[in-house]
Amino acid sequence: MPTAISMRNVVKTFGPTRALDGLDLEVATGEVHGYLGPNGSGKSVTIRTLLGLLRHDSGEARLLGGDPWRDAVALHRRLAYVPGDVSLWPNLSGGEIIDYFGRLRGDLDRPKRDELIERFELDPRKKAGTYSKGNRQKVALVLALASNAELLLLDEPTAGLDPLMETVFQDCISAVAAEGRTVMLSSHILAEVEKLCDRVTIIRNGRAVQSGSLDDMRTTTRTAITVSTDRPVDGLEVLEGVHSVRTEGAALRFEVDSHALGRVLNHLTAFGIRSLVSQPPTLEELFLREYGDDLAASEAAGTS
Amino acid sequence: MTSLVDSRPKRRSQPRPLAGFGSLLRFMMRRDRVRAPAWIASVVGLVAASAASIVGLYETPSQLQEYADIAQADAAFKAFAGPGYGLDDPTLGAVMMNEVLVYSFVGVALMCIFLTVRHTRAEEETDRAELVRAAGVGRLSTLAAACVWVAIINVVVAIGLTLSLLAFGLTATGTLAYSAATCAVGMVFIGVAAVAAQVASSARAATASAGTTLAACFLLRAVGDLGTSWLTWLSPLGWAQSIRAFADERWWVLVLLGLAAAGSVAGAFVLSMRRDLGAGFFKQRPGPAVGSPRLASPLALAARLQRTSLISWTIGLAIIGAFFGIVTDEAEKMLESEAIAEFFAQAGAGTPTELFLATVVLMTALTASGYTVSTVLRLRTEELAVRAEPVLATPVSRRRWLLSYLTVSAVGTIVVMVVTGLAVGLGSAAQLGTTADILPVLGATLAMVPALLVLAAVTVALVGWSPRWAQLAWAGVAISAVVGLLAETLKLPDWLRNVSPFEHVPPLPAADFEWLPLVLLVLVAIGLTFVGLGAMNRRDIG
Repeated sequence: MPTAISMRNVVKTFGPTRALDGLDLEVATGEVHGYLGPNGSGKSVTIRTLLGLLRHDSGEARLLGGDPWRDAVALHRRLAYVPGDVSLWPNLSGGEIIDYFGRLRGDLDRPKRDELIERFELDPRKKAGTYSKGNRQKVALVLALASNAELLLLDEPTAGLDPLMETVFQDCISAVAAEGRTVMLSSHILAEVEKLCDRVTIIRNGRAVQSGSLDDMRTTTRTAITVSTDRPVDGLEVLEGVHSVRTEGAALRFEVDSHALGRVLNHLTAFGIRSLVSQPPTLEELFLREYGDDLAASEAAGTS
Repeated sequence: MTSLVDSRPKRRSQPRPLAGFGSLLRFMMRRDRVRAPAWIASVVGLVAASAASIVGLYETPSQLQEYADIAQADAAFKAFAGPGYGLDDPTLGAVMMNEVLVYSFVGVALMCIFLTVRHTRAEEETDRAELVRAAGVGRLSTLAAACVWVAIINVVVAIGLTLSLLAFGLTATGTLAYSAATCAVGMVFIGVAAVAAQVASSARAATASAGTTLAACFLLRAVGDLGTSWLTWLSPLGWAQSIRAFADERWWVLVLLGLAAAGSVAGAFVLSMRRDLGAGFFKQRPGPAVGSPRLASPLALAARLQRTSLISWTIGLAIIGAFFGIVTDEAEKMLESEAIAEFFAQAGAGTPTELFLATVVLMTALTASGYTVSTVLRLRTEELAVRAEPVLATPVSRRRWLLSYLTVSAVGTIVVMVVTGLAVGLGSAAQLGTTADILPVLGATLAMVPALLVLAAVTVALVGWSPRWAQLAWAGVAISAVVGLLAETLKLPDWLRNVSPFEHVPPLPAADFEWLPLVLLVLVAIGLTFVGLGAMNRRDIG
């Protein structure tokens, strides 16, 4: 599978801070890749390293088959970028800024630009100084989406958008994906990632802690079970892979590692199952598990 | 924004419009812990340095009398320095006032404008003001704290001015009148800037309109002092001169200035109660929906962003140049004064007119360096505002981005110097009735361009090598100004003089033209540019 982005053991330090601490990242050509992580975990640093704005200290980074630092200018012809914090020239109108970037990139597509301005309900005549955060974000989205770039690097692109515009954005990204173009989407909006992304990487303290398709990630994590039985269940706690067992009224709730699911069900059958609800982990749960310090610490203690 | 509009009907019932005043004041002091001392030191230091040079130049009554004769005879002197109160029987104090008074007013007024807008309107544009106002802070607190804080700085400057003039042995009454007048002018312009901050459509527009008001006040009193004396009374600067420091002081003028300051500050308070945060009374006009096809490169954008700045610098320097040109005919008379002759002697050897013109050309070039350096420093502004990043994420190389601002700086510098040279030449031609000086003066201003390019290249090198210290580029401008204007007075050592690139330019038209130093300056500029470019290509952006 050809890769659009590949980073191996990339380290980037700012003085004593290790912003990227041996990061591994793989984004396949044509996929929409979700990039998740808590604030300050190194998401923006990753993207700015890929853009050749920051120079990494060690490790290997490849972007569209080139070196993001050395081949920056040539690579930038083939990608579009939406920064997380959009800052514009206050005295230029939105339309002027969109067209300026279009001309710098050299692929200003006028009909597409006009259509996007309309869909995002942006007033291109207003001076950028009078735009709200959401409107500045729309300018950046229009100028990225109006391009025909083969790779889109989006750094929390929907942070200031309202739910309606969020839907428009999702439609646009789906269309981009359908054309076989690659998208790297850093985001905190999990519903958006769950809906758009084929694969996800979770970063924490400058390291990738999880990477894979959402399905794969679910199988490596726990399923929540709620069960009621004819006879009280015993011996469940001692089974390997079972966690946080608690009784709620007549029902028993617990979490189980996916690989232990079969064994646990066999054990339960002996007590006469009356009802059983199983919930695969949502992305939010995956996410909280990787984010939460306490959970991560107890996890480390449990596996060792 | 909407929540603020919604809360409007409750405006009158909002309790404690000054809530949080104390915390805001302390916060402003904290933010200005470098800036405020820097302003105070520069204003007081410049006045003290001028005072030192005047004390050194005019030691005997006859020297004072020579000065007074020229100053009273000459129109341009009056336009720049005032009507010359006390020069009939010239004391050191009166001469001092003629030299520093108006410039002290302008310096202090600029300080008050910049600082007031910085803490009011500029703050609103950063979204921080919303956070602050959402945090139990009264509607008037920010404006009130800003006015009080700048007023405190203003008073400290006044104390500094008083102490430095007293240290040079000037009389206490005159010194007090001088610093009181200067302080009062500062207070008036705190008010002017506060009103501008409410009315204008942006922080830049607020600074520009307050600055224009200052320029208008300067011109009104300049024309007034040339003869139409009622015009002087339309300008707060004119009132402040009329306190007649060191010449039969008229203290009641301070009441007038006090009323103007109080009135304008009160006006700003009333206006601020009536407007939304971040909005002015003059709305920004909408721009074009489609970008011009010419706006297609970093160079085009840099030129567009610097357009207003270039036009203002050109007009400002052309006016100053024309004024100097018009007084060329006084050059011979001035040279009769030993003191002035010594000053001009820094320029080299030649006829009085040539020496005078060479000095004028140097002074305009030193002023123009403000344009040259500030334009290159826009690179750093763009980087800090995170506007460089998206541009450098397109197929624009760092080299191309950096050179775009350097090009705008270099070309703009040439434009400024050509127009200034023509203004000086035409001014002197109009006065002397001969066009013979026009081309030599134009040549002289153009010969300054390589020196200015060196300052631009120093800025490029700093932006590339140590972006945090990019503002140090102003040190180059400051050193050049001190060397250019005060080298003889302060008896500066040669090595320090040689630091200034302007020292290496032949002082045309008072000297023979030489290619070599100019070529060397250009080579130094090119070398420093390469240093900056090389470093730029290796460092992180942001």
